[in-house]
Amino acid sequence: MGLLTGLRDSISRVTERLFSASDPKRIGIYGPPNAGKTTLANRIARDWTGDAVGPESHVPHETRRARRKENVEIERNGSTVTIDIVDTPGVTTKVDYKEFLEHDIDEEDAVRRSREATEGVAEAMHWLREDVDGVIYVLDSTEDPFTQVNTMLIGIIESQDLPVLILANKTDLEGSNIKQIENAFPQHQTIPLSALEGDNMDEVYDMIAEYFG
Amino acid sequence: MPHQCTNCERVFADGSKEMLSGCPDCGGNKFQFKPDSATETPTLGDDSGGGDDAETTPDPSADATSSPTRESTPRTPSADAAAAGDPDPTPTPEPSTAADATPGDDVIEAESDPSVLTEDTAQADARSDVVSADELDDAASPPPSADDAARAVPPTSDESPGIDDLRAELNDQFESIKILEPGQYELNLMELYDRQECIISLQEDGHYVIEVADTWRDDA
Repeated sequence: MGLLTGLRDSISRVTERLFSASDPKRIGIYGPPNAGKTTLANRIARDWTGDAVGPESHVPHETRRARRKENVEIERNGSTVTIDIVDTPGVTTKVDYKEFLEHDIDEEDAVRRSREATEGVAEAMHWLREDVDGVIYVLDSTEDPFTQVNTMLIGIIESQDLPVLILANKTDLEGSNIKQIENAFPQHQTIPLSALEGDNMDEVYDMIAEYFG
Repeated sequence: MPHQCTNCERVFADGSKEMLSGCPDCGGNKFQFKPDSATETPTLGDDSGGGDDAETTPDPSADATSSPTRESTPRTPSADAAAAGDPDPTPTPEPSTAADATPGDDVIEAESDPSVLTEDTAQADARSDVVSADELDDAASPPPSADDAARAVPPTSDESPGIDDLRAELNDQFESIKILEPGQYELNLMELYDRQECIISLQEDGHYVIEVADTWRDDA
């Protein structure tokens, strides 16, 4: 009897999980190279799961494959929001191995990285097409946000009717200009933060819960 | 001085990137476009006191014309309208009489001139920008019907082949990944986004391996 009860309980737990209204949403972290996407993904993952997502680096295109961290449970105001985080390679229209040479990487390795980065961008664009339920778009707030890549990606995200949060990252740096990003995408909520320092992460989590919960 | 903030009237040089994030002085984000020839009119000279327009209207009546001219300037709704030579309600487009014309004629001259201007860098940038798929669709649809109307093409079985051809041609022109040389790539993001299959591996010889839909797995 006890066995049957236990089995029934466990089945009901499984079905509850399967058909729960709060199935994890798959949230893609997108943005240009070196905006701090992996730093943010790691910050979120570490804050709520204790693990990291991938290595961070100053070298552009360090993330050359989309990396996923599943079932990240974010607690806000007494309730829990569960999301899968997908850290994607930085999206760009040009990849040149010479960029890597400046970072003390030999030519053969640079060419390989370049090829992998290109594949990564293709993959990221493909994920955007059908594999994400929402987007966190990360921008380096010290850089000019008015670029073809940003405009195109935000346009695609809007055409997909995906919920999107725009994060103005690197507020710890001197040239950070949040207003510039707000002006570039006035139709979306812009949240300033420093993923590296962990500044303003509370607001980021509030907004993640509100947008993707 | 082709660009001017409509709020604080600060002027920006042609091709200036300063205004891309709004006017640095007042934060305004509306600018009017003033082609080079237009700057020869007294319109801009009046507010800045700059000397470069003194040659155009040396006579003292220019002062009297300043207020109507200035009033008419903000009325041009945008740079686009001015650059496109927006059809003007005022009918006299003759430039030869401008020297001794009334104040109103000066304004007319300024607004009708841009239509014959050569393209500047800002316009060139705008023209060379990438359009979205929707815009491409919109642009693609009119030509076949226009062709049908204009000349008697062989009986139109259906219109779609023309559009399909055009799309195929566009796809040929905008490949998803252009390999300039090993390690140097140009990516067409819209094409990468639009294509069904996911590119999974680039080869050294310029080929790439794709994962076709039949072999897709739900989970990696």
